[in-house]
Amino acid sequence: MAGEMRGTFLGREFLTWLWFESERSGGTVNSEQFGAVRVDFGQRLSLQSTSGAREGSTVKAEAPGETEEARSALRTGKQVTTARLFVATADREFWLSIDADTFTFSGVKLPSVLGGKDDNKVDERLLLLDELEGVVDELYMIFIKLRADPQAWPDIREGIHQWVLAQPTA
Amino acid sequence: MGIASGNISYLRFFTAALPEGFEEPYCDLLASHKFNEIDPRSELEESVGWVEFGDAFDCNYSPDTLVSNSGHILLRLRIDKLKIPAVSLKAYVDQAARGRAAEAGRDKLTKREKDVLKLEVKNQLRMRSLPRMQLVEVVWNVSTGEVRVASTSKAIATTFVDKFEKTFSVQLNPVTLMTVLSLRGMSEADVTALSLVEEEHFHLVRHG
Repeated sequence: MAGEMRGTFLGREFLTWLWFESERSGGTVNSEQFGAVRVDFGQRLSLQSTSGAREGSTVKAEAPGETEEARSALRTGKQVTTARLFVATADREFWLSIDADTFTFSGVKLPSVLGGKDDNKVDERLLLLDELEGVVDELYMIFIKLRADPQAWPDIREGIHQWVLAQPTA
Repeated sequence: MGIASGNISYLRFFTAALPEGFEEPYCDLLASHKFNEIDPRSELEESVGWVEFGDAFDCNYSPDTLVSNSGHILLRLRIDKLKIPAVSLKAYVDQAARGRAAEAGRDKLTKREKDVLKLEVKNQLRMRSLPRMQLVEVVWNVSTGEVRVASTSKAIATTFVDKFEKTFSVQLNPVTLMTVLSLRGMSEADVTALSLVEEEHFHLVRHG
């Protein structure tokens, strides 16, 4: 149970890092398995305080990550609890919402499938879900490996700190 | 909306590897735990069981077709509830009690008479009511052991886990921020080492 409580903050840190990383690198994160993965924060972004106060902010906008409201929430110590993401590999485009505390995916929008018969269509959609989970899980693994690396993490942490304090460019 | 079509919201679980030659025994287990209609003449308020992925009224799985082309067992869990809402029941009982008392030339019924009437009215309403049906899509990857359930409701998840574990006698574990690490190949030692990591507060200057 204690391990799952730890996982809770790792999920929030993951989405906050993903936001930082996608903004820093022009919207793409490099993955070994899938190559350059495009990640955009869209439509809705919820943040919550990491202190005991549990104050929250929800920003609804076309690009909520670029709003002053969302960046201001970061500056006051909030981290991402749920995010609506556009995720694209070289071949596919997906939309999904991720709950940082439970790592649950909701509102997943898959690319259109070709399958004619219902059974084929379901099979095709399951393969697409496999691909989406593969992409998101790999992004999370990239974060976790950096997070656990005592050599790499301090510089990344400082980069996120400076980004949090900076004003949005949009 | 769900795995078959539309947007999907779902929970992830995983099981141990499936045993060799699982197809036939699993079909038998599904038949043993298939959905049974609620008899409105009974007092049963909920029924939970398996139905076919494409047919909410049947549960005839065959070993040859149990696993789909993509390597998944496709199931649907049917949850029916036949419960008369308390407000409706009270209104109908009050109405019947007034009629019954009037027939007897009295102002009102005794408590005992009203209790008997309440049972009568409840049975009548059950006969007139359709159960509320929920169909929950479930897909089980027979290669990886991953199970996806097309719902994020805690109540449905609890019902599903209970039924799944009872049906197949396997333990279901949720995919979480920690368990996904092992599933994606991280060593137990590295996962355990993460317990030493302290929570970050990115807006603050780091000390030490």
